[in-house]
Amino acid sequence: MTVDTTHRRLCHALFDALEQGDVDGVDACYAPDMTMWINVSGETITREANLEAVDKGRGLHRRRLYNDRNINSFDDGFVVQYTTHVVTHDGTEVPLSACLVAEVRDARITKLFEYLDTTQFRSRARSKKARSKKTESERTESRQPEPT
Amino acid sequence: MSAMTEYEVRELCNEFFDAYQDGRVDVLRRIMSDDCIVWHNVYGRDTTRDQNLEAYPDSYTGQRRRTYNDRIINAFDDGFVIQYSLNGVMHTGHKGALWICIVGRVRDGKITRIDEYMDSSKFAAWMGGPRA
Repeated sequence: MTVDTTHRRLCHALFDALEQGDVDGVDACYAPDMTMWINVSGETITREANLEAVDKGRGLHRRRLYNDRNINSFDDGFVVQYTTHVVTHDGTEVPLSACLVAEVRDARITKLFEYLDTTQFRSRARSKKARSKKTESERTESRQPEPT
Repeated sequence: MSAMTEYEVRELCNEFFDAYQDGRVDVLRRIMSDDCIVWHNVYGRDTTRDQNLEAYPDSYTGQRRRTYNDRIINAFDDGFVIQYSLNGVMHTGHKGALWICIVGRVRDGKITRIDEYMDSSKFAAWMGGPRA
């Protein structure tokens, strides 16, 4: 198997496991000393902290898909551009474009760098909720009896 | 169409960021292909090379200096990914930093596409307040 194929498979294995909330599957993609840096906080977290977040995150949404995976690999890692498609418990659907850069050693991820725009996620979630509330109020309004 | 070596791709990436840093719009126009598209995750839309270069002076409003530091570049067959810090010094003297990642596509010695990823919630802190 070429390095390119190995890295692409690893990337898909990670995202498939994240989609399914499969903590063991995510763990299998990581090297023991794996760390993750996130542009949102500017902080680096350990593998254990990341796995804990994956575990806790399972119930946060109804569904989370990692779509439109555009993967490019290089000698010791890969970059994937993708759309996280979140469906919240109230049915709100929020797509978010993000980018992940991974460093890989011996077919395991040693470092992850995640880049996303939190403003976009919050504003889309808010606007969809607002739209859904408006639709509900419009429905309520339409059920009001005609004035006599 | 000729394939570019890893060295050439890295050199092109650095040339692009040096030109952006130094305000060399002429160099940017030369190394971005005529049909180059720039996409920002913040806006979720494509802009053309010319739209991007026309907006360049306005993007500097309120800023004394911008430098593109800590460049980590990885090259792949027809492009690169660069992770970097955008350090800005405002006219107020305020200094701010943004962490950004760009995925670039290259062809025949030119950049044909740029996808930029950043967190816009950091803009206000980066600018140190409203734009002058």
